[in-house]
Amino acid sequence: MLIDNIKLAFKNIKERKSRVFLTLIGIAIGIMSIVALMSIGQGMQSAVEGELSSLTDTIIVTTGNVDASPVGGGFTGGGYGNFFTERDIDDIKRINGLKSVDPIMFAPSYVEFNGDVEVITLLGMNAESMSNVFGIDFLGLESGEFMNTGDQNKCIVGNSVAHKYFDTEIIVGNNIKINNKKFYVNGIYRKQGAGFSTQTDEYVHLTIRDFKEVTGRDNISGILVRVSDVGNAEAIADEIEFAINENHGDSDFANAITMTSILESIQSVLSVISVFLLGIAAIALVVASIGIMNTMLTSVIERTHEIGIMKAIGAKSTDVMSIFLTEGIMISLFGGIVGTILGIIAGILFGMASSNFGGAGIPIEPVISIVTIIISIGVALFVGIISSLYPARKASKMSPIEAVRYE
Amino acid sequence: MKKEDFVIVAEKINKIYGKKDTKVQALKDVNISIKRGDYITIIGPSGSGKSTFMNIIGCLDKPTSGRLYIDNKDVSSLNDNKLAKIRLEKIGFVFQKYNLIPTLSALENVSLSMSFAGVSAAKRVERAEKLLEKVDLSHRLSHKPSEMSGGEQQRVAIARALSNNPSIILADEPTGNVDSKSGRRIMDILEEINTQGETVIVVTHDPNIAKRGKWTVRIHDGVVSSYANR
Repeated sequence: MLIDNIKLAFKNIKERKSRVFLTLIGIAIGIMSIVALMSIGQGMQSAVEGELSSLTDTIIVTTGNVDASPVGGGFTGGGYGNFFTERDIDDIKRINGLKSVDPIMFAPSYVEFNGDVEVITLLGMNAESMSNVFGIDFLGLESGEFMNTGDQNKCIVGNSVAHKYFDTEIIVGNNIKINNKKFYVNGIYRKQGAGFSTQTDEYVHLTIRDFKEVTGRDNISGILVRVSDVGNAEAIADEIEFAINENHGDSDFANAITMTSILESIQSVLSVISVFLLGIAAIALVVASIGIMNTMLTSVIERTHEIGIMKAIGAKSTDVMSIFLTEGIMISLFGGIVGTILGIIAGILFGMASSNFGGAGIPIEPVISIVTIIISIGVALFVGIISSLYPARKASKMSPIEAVRYE
Repeated sequence: MKKEDFVIVAEKINKIYGKKDTKVQALKDVNISIKRGDYITIIGPSGSGKSTFMNIIGCLDKPTSGRLYIDNKDVSSLNDNKLAKIRLEKIGFVFQKYNLIPTLSALENVSLSMSFAGVSAAKRVERAEKLLEKVDLSHRLSHKPSEMSGGEQQRVAIARALSNNPSIILADEPTGNVDSKSGRRIMDILEEINTQGETVIVVTHDPNIAKRGKWTVRIHDGVVSSYANR
């Protein structure tokens, strides 16, 4: 019976191609937004979680007047002003449950390459932490590799430093002079571009030891703390702030940010966006559902005579009802399939566009999961049932005598 | 004669349309018994209650009062779905305007009522082909109604009426919309079906067609009288 209904529905849809097509657009737009939304949403989620979750055990401590930004180290400027002290480091080290405590330092320097000299800010950091913080996928290196603990006289240069600052471009394996000391270029960062407040494009990164040696400074601008148990990160962050603020007698001196809290805030922004987009999808689907209902009602009225014939030759109300339900559901399902395909295309286009922005954001790889497809088809099915229920019922209630007479 | 020999028994059937002031009595105390295998014609001018009578014995409508038995089953108080089942199993309609489904081919039109009866697809096709062969339409199986002549469409309708092995073939002005040659052909087919044991009821306003029945039922102002033709 179901197969018969489907065949019958196919025939009737073929008879009214253009009307069905117009009806289909509505549902396709609704489903397209759902699919695009879910695939982009999941893409964002996995980009955020995948790239940043490796850092969830990390706490970034900055002084209160330094801008803190979520991704890639999180401090701007050279931190000229307030600095942390060795005592702060010692106090942090006394807190239980820490894996490592590393100072981060900034200082301007003269960098010489091929005879040109430029003033470039240096960043000093423990080698292992450097690869942890800056090595995540969408930052990362364009060429070469990070330094190993214990490496000396090696550096990583920022993308602009390598490609723009000097007449000759710097490549991995070159030697540059920092404050007249020779350094081997071990790696070059990828381009980050605008929108990211990371310290890579315009910087040269050194290990803490080399940094102190070439600059003669040991002003601590930031502290990178890694905890053993991610669950304790928030509590430890509070403890760190408290300890440092006490040292400096300023309740706003230190700012300790956990990656978990950053992840949470990104996710809450994502969920707000998702709710908003879902709202749009919902409105599209409601309108689409009214469209299907309208098409089906027209179809019922046009086929009154046919309904009369079917009832006269013995079709039960439920037979008639299921014929029209099947047809409405099929229109909706067609729309759902078209919408799903369009949604996948939209997601892929969005992903391509987002990576073409030149690092203006986290590149999104849209995730098209089976669940997304099942949900979108399910929604189309649901909309089809809801919107053709009334027309189908109306058809099934027709009196055969009057309906047969209807021309 | 035993009751089982009658395919239709109507007892004091009344049909009243409207209420109070606008009341119209379409049928008055109609009593009639139709034997299995009979060939009846029903004649009467328009507005005589002929259509009402046909609708009631065809289980499309219910009498206001009285009893109607189809194959010894009291159908006077059945609900719509049960009446649909009676129409499906017991009655084969042939309408004046053929009333085929325009989007379906001849074969599919004949199969349709079998699909309502839950007959499997393979058996439906087999039977529909056989029935269309019987009305000489083997060459029109995949033609749509719009691609066939009126006479051919009416023959498809006859094949459809026979599809679920009904107890009664109920034809309402079956020749009303076709030329006289096709009309004779259709009447011949109906008579052939009758000789094979099927009960055939033909509603008409044409006295020449009415004469062909073994019995003619005349309806006038809702009152039924019947007489034998041979």
